[in-house]
Amino acid sequence: MLEFIIGKYNFWIYIILMMIGFYAMISKNNLIKKIIGMNIFQTAIILFYVSIAYKKGGATLPILTDADAHGEHIITIAQYINPLPHVLMLTAIVVMVATLGVALAIAIMLYRKYHTLEEDEIIKALK
Amino acid sequence: MTIPFDLIIQIFVIICAIAAITVRDLLSAVMILGAYSFFMCLMWAQMGAVDVAFTEASVSAGIGTILFIAALMKTTRRTKD
Amino acid sequence: MKFLSLIVTIITGAFLIYGTFDMPEWGDPNSPASRHVSPRYIEKTEIETATPNMVTSVLADYRGYDTLGETTVIFTAGASCILLLRRRKKKG
Repeated sequence: MLEFIIGKYNFWIYIILMMIGFYAMISKNNLIKKIIGMNIFQTAIILFYVSIAYKKGGATLPILTDADAHGEHIITIAQYINPLPHVLMLTAIVVMVATLGVALAIAIMLYRKYHTLEEDEIIKALK
Repeated sequence: MTIPFDLIIQIFVIICAIAAITVRDLLSAVMILGAYSFFMCLMWAQMGAVDVAFTEASVSAGIGTILFIAALMKTTRRTKD
Repeated sequence: MKFLSLIVTIITGAFLIYGTFDMPEWGDPNSPASRHVSPRYIEKTEIETATPNMVTSVLADYRGYDTLGETTVIFTAGASCILLLRRRKKKG
């Protein structure tokens, strides 16, 4: 039982982070608070993917050492961390900032038109 | 019993996330979000994803915070929740 | 309303935690994600691309079209920001 908890508690912490972002997205009234919640949610998902790549037991960074780079002996795969999720998450971080910029632009536009950032006042003004 | 290093950073990250969505001032919330991004970057560097950590520190904690502050300067920093 | 969203959040989190019970242990070197595609990248990166950093070689060489699509996403986001925030001239 204790071994099960030690093997899995990292995933539970990531899920707690994800749910904090989700709660802010669906429950907060202010638009900037919703965008902050979206940022936390995306960061938690990227954290989950990066943690998949991690290998216990002495694995190093995904950069070849000098001995391996010159082909002196066969490369052992368990020595290096899995590089593929890192590459996909580099793309995801840049896309995250792009969505953040568009969301903030829409929030500024709404403020120019309705002079408030609260969601219920905007809905009241729309009616 | 020694506490592992990553557990300490994870606790800090959760505290920063809860503080960022509960504080009643938007500029403080954005600043706490920047601290959250830097703790996340530290966690990724500890996991061995150095390229992702560099990108997070420059793009998300730098440009993201600047975008947030620029948006707050054009709107307001007051909030009800 | 806040109470309802809190309940929805807790139910979603419980389902996700139930989903982790079938996953491999955290940091397992023999997990399915580390056995399928990435061993080829680790073995052949020096022979095929002459770059010791695997992340760079996969990002710019094996999956270059992916990075091209990412550039398209950034361009679209910048163009839409300019279109949204442009000051419109008052008519008349």
